Amino acid sequence: MRTLRMIAVGALLHAKQLSRSPFEIATALIVPVVQATLAVYLFRAGGEPGRLLEAAVGAGLMGVWSSVLFGSGGAIQNQRWQGTLEMIMLAPRPPALVVLPITLATALTGTYAMVATLAWGRLLYGIPLTFADPLAFAVAVPGCIIGLGMFGLLLASTFVLLRNANALTNTLEYPIWLVSGMLVPITALPGWTGPIAAVLPTTWGARAVREAATGSGPVWPSLGVCLAISLACLVLGAIMMTHVERRARAAATLALA
Amino acid sequence: MTALLRLVGTGGVIAYRALFNWTTPAMFVGTLLVGPLFQLLFFAYLGRQLGVADDGFYITGNAVLAASLACVFGGTMAVSNERRFGTLGHVLLSPRSRTAVFLGRVLPYAANGLLIAVTTMSAASLLLGLRVPLDALPGLLLTLAVAALACGFFGLTLGAIGLRFRDVWLVSNVSVALLLLLTGVNVPAAGLPAWMRVTGELLPITHAAEAARRLVAGDGFRAAAPQLAAELAIAATYAVLAALLLKVFEAESRRRASLDTL
Repeated sequence: MRTLRMIAVGALLHAKQLSRSPFEIATALIVPVVQATLAVYLFRAGGEPGRLLEAAVGAGLMGVWSSVLFGSGGAIQNQRWQGTLEMIMLAPRPPALVVLPITLATALTGTYAMVATLAWGRLLYGIPLTFADPLAFAVAVPGCIIGLGMFGLLLASTFVLLRNANALTNTLEYPIWLVSGMLVPITALPGWTGPIAAVLPTTWGARAVREAATGSGPVWPSLGVCLAISLACLVLGAIMMTHVERRARAAATLALA
Repeated sequence: MTALLRLVGTGGVIAYRALFNWTTPAMFVGTLLVGPLFQLLFFAYLGRQLGVADDGFYITGNAVLAASLACVFGGTMAVSNERRFGTLGHVLLSPRSRTAVFLGRVLPYAANGLLIAVTTMSAASLLLGLRVPLDALPGLLLTLAVAALACGFFGLTLGAIGLRFRDVWLVSNVSVALLLLLTGVNVPAAGLPAWMRVTGELLPITHAAEAARRLVAGDGFRAAAPQLAAELAIAATYAVLAALLLKVFEAESRRRASLDTL
């Protein structure tokens, strides 16, 4: 119970901190809307006006992923720049439990992208927000976000090992959008991308949200797989985070970029 | 004249090396070479699946667009990083023409953008199987170079705005996102509303992408020349605008003593 409270309070604290950055807010306000507009015009140009809801949902998921990717990728580096990394690592809790709220907070702020793209689509393009299964949609979106937050921990722990984590974060945005089928169906991609897609929680999360919105399949199995993979990522991330923390302490390199 | 050219050329290269001393080969390859390639593949597969246009449309358009990331952000950094590193005051104290100093800085970014665009186009053509007529290559190279230059001057204009407004990165990020939407690179211009088409006409990339598509289609340089000239005019317009804004905001920041305000 205390652990859950710590994660919740930590996530809220970091979400509040993220909400104090005018740059973060303005970027999060504008970029997803631009992407949603692009998706809507692309689907219209392709003669698929019936799939505009799918486009808006897909663009929203893309925004959530961007938020998790850049937030988790920069989680450690940002704490280092703020001079709070040592204090975080000195906390009498496993490092993974201290970093997880940061990655959850980035996913939480990413929900804005989903809300914004749906509202934008409804208000400007008159896309009817008639979800095939509204209850499942209401569960699938937060479920997907929590899953991505856990996946973010694995990313954050991996990025600690890399001096140039920014290079990786800048590279991973489009491949994950593509392979996870957020806008492009996985069946349209080359066959070798299938196994990669299958092990990514983003694929199953996007699938669950899309199925809830369009009724194209059973939501719960997809959401279950997404959460199971994310949980595995959480465990892996926790092990890696502990290993990296011990190594950084021993080598006295924690504060070094 | 030689001194001026030296100031523009050598000064630009030295500033480029100084302002990018933090970058690494991994950062360059990951952000500037691999990133745009995946962006191209994403839109090519999406366009293919929706039946919007063929691969050639997306490969050519996104290859031209690939230069924008390095050039727009580079142009912005040419001004804002001086401020961030605390060296802007030294540059503005120079007895030489600041217009020449700053305009010269765009050249290395444009060369970098050209390299990225060529790499992206070559890799995507190999991966997706686009055949470009051999006689179109010189014209295509020229088109990509002009697009990179236009993006560089566009970025410098945004950088100049950064002398007056603090959150210049926000402007750059949003501008790069808008280039995706408004330049007709991913959505054919006919599918966009009139106001978006008009805005796109005033931005870099739009005309260069059109010129590149004509060249790749084998229409010849003569068919692409009007669009290429339009892109060149856009580049010149942004260069003049950047020079003007830099002059005005420099005077303003001296008057208000806000040069190093972050």
